[in-house]
Amino acid sequence: MTTTAAAPAPIRPAGYALLRAGPAAFLIHRRAALVAALLTLVLAAGCVGYLSLGEHVVAPGEVIQVVRGRPSPDGLVVGALRLPRLCVGLLAGAAFGVAGALLQTVARNPLASPDIIGITQGASACTVAALTFGIGSYAVLPYLSVAGGLLAAALVYVFAWRGGLHATRFVLIGIGFAVALRSVTQLFLTKGDYLVAQKAQVWMVGSLNGRGWAEAVPLAWALLVLVPCVLWAARAQRTVSMDDDTATALGVRLGRTRLGLATLGVLLAALATGATGPVDFVALLAPQIARRLTRTAQIPLLCSALLGACVVVLGDLPARMLFAPTELPVGVLTAAIGAPYLIHLLVRGHSGRRRAAGGSA
Amino acid sequence: MSVAPVGSPRAPLTRRRLCRTAAAVLALLLAVALSLAVGNRAIAPREVLDALFHGGDTEAAQIVLFLRLPRTLVGLLVGAALALAGTAMQGLTRNPIADPGVLGISQGASAAVVLAIAFAGVHSLSGYVGVAFVGAALAAVFVYAVAARGRGGATPVKLALAGAAINALLVAVTMAVLTTRAAALDEFRFWQVGSLTGRDAAVALRIWPFLMVGAVLVIAVARGLDALALGEDVAKGLGQKVATVRIVGGLGAALLTGAGVAAAGPVAFVGLAAPHLARALVGSDHRWVLPTAALIGPVMVLVADTVGRILYPPSEVPAGVLTALIGVPFLVTLVRRKAVAA
Repeated sequence: MTTTAAAPAPIRPAGYALLRAGPAAFLIHRRAALVAALLTLVLAAGCVGYLSLGEHVVAPGEVIQVVRGRPSPDGLVVGALRLPRLCVGLLAGAAFGVAGALLQTVARNPLASPDIIGITQGASACTVAALTFGIGSYAVLPYLSVAGGLLAAALVYVFAWRGGLHATRFVLIGIGFAVALRSVTQLFLTKGDYLVAQKAQVWMVGSLNGRGWAEAVPLAWALLVLVPCVLWAARAQRTVSMDDDTATALGVRLGRTRLGLATLGVLLAALATGATGPVDFVALLAPQIARRLTRTAQIPLLCSALLGACVVVLGDLPARMLFAPTELPVGVLTAAIGAPYLIHLLVRGHSGRRRAAGGSA
Repeated sequence: MSVAPVGSPRAPLTRRRLCRTAAAVLALLLAVALSLAVGNRAIAPREVLDALFHGGDTEAAQIVLFLRLPRTLVGLLVGAALALAGTAMQGLTRNPIADPGVLGISQGASAAVVLAIAFAGVHSLSGYVGVAFVGAALAAVFVYAVAARGRGGATPVKLALAGAAINALLVAVTMAVLTTRAAALDEFRFWQVGSLTGRDAAVALRIWPFLMVGAVLVIAVARGLDALALGEDVAKGLGQKVATVRIVGGLGAALLTGAGVAAAGPVAFVGLAAPHLARALVGSDHRWVLPTAALIGPVMVLVADTVGRILYPPSEVPAGVLTALIGVPFLVTLVRRKAVAA
């Protein structure tokens, strides 16, 4: 829709900059680009802070030495303990952010986040079931959690379908399934022996505690595979946020695009849950804050990813340090921030309102 | 909605209601019998009766009298409390998905108990009940205040979401306390999922007065709840003091939830499903619905507890887990009915 390369004077909507590279042309939202740059800076500073702070404080200069692979006396603490944990946090946070953005776009409702409508709970139920039955290898677990997330999403979709998909019905049934799946998880925990239960319990609250390369590497590969899909999604997102009549008139296959975007969102959320456990509210918070910062009509994907990573990394730092020898799960901290925000959304009465699908040329 | 058609004689209606209430009583007796007889060591019904009426020193009698009987009593009380609380909440909010668990009120009670144990040094059961009551009342007021603001008032979806938000927040608080205070974690893990494991007669003895007061308060406003079902204006027109009904009923519901949670932790969805089953049986008159719900709630809790005992023999599945699994189909059916989602 925007690549009118042959046109002599392309129409440029206000607030956008036009970027040309050969035959291709891109519209870039100026404010969104600025916000993304600033978020990248914050995230970089947060990462350095994350690596240097802790029970054993390492100077930032030393941290950079370690990250660049130079030998250093702090190599163990920074390189072997904090760096993999940071990577898991970054990747999972970004995945949660994009997943939330996609699902919220499709449902046109900020409440359709994977952790409210039962997708992360489905992923955890499947993973805990696998742990209980003795499948504990890190190679298989991500697939299982993805399967669980997809299954939960399909169930919610089927039960919420009644001659069309109503947003509130979808959310309510999602909440119900979230509760049921949490119970299923509990059921498997009771079945498993004590050691399994303890292992699963740590995993279940959404924590970066003890995460290492074993979780980071598969997650990174999986996300890398999904990057082209996310690029497609960034384009498709614009059409989906139009109202049904406009999209149909323009010849957009709304149903398929929506299904694709939702599937991608579910995949991302389930992958992230497989690595960190259900970190509550990141998927709800990140896209909403991102949209308020950039003031775009659609939820910006890149900024959502950056913000998701920021929330998880900056949330895990106090979670690690607040009660020094004991570590809080990061999920507790994100829930403590996210729940009041959800209440704020409800009080403001934004929950049901559809945003105007502006911003098109 | 299932009021008898105009002009139909009253007597058959009352007879039908009596029949169905009797059936509920029968189901409850059956559930109690199962709860006493079934478990790690199955005990024949005759032995159970023998132990109940004549006592005895046999192993079976000891198990029935000192392990299963107290536990069954607590299950009865908790089930009745949550069912009554759920019925009152559904009537007061005119909202079919109101339930102490869904609205985060049980979680309020359990978070208050955990906080009181960790920081205020409350260690007695009556202390728990008091604290749980305060927590339940605060959570109830807060959830309703959040949901009632904004457009459209307290619609089902806003109540459920406000409840979900409060739930998440309170779970985070509870988790933070339990993670940092290992001692509290060990003793009170069951407060995250409701369970009857290891409850003794003292629990039942301590909570029943609270329960009675709560039940009396809720039953006292039964007529007011009927009037409220017709809408606030009609209720006023019929001469009901709407504010009084709301305050008395709300107090009763909070008291019942607090007592139930203090005894067993948050047992999910009993307060949601029991009133709907009761309405399906005896119609929408709250003077009939409340007692019937109080019969059906314990059936749910006791059956869930009994099934939990025999599912994975050495370990026990908490009753709250199974009631959630029974209750969710109810929620889904309710939401799929047109009137709610609109």
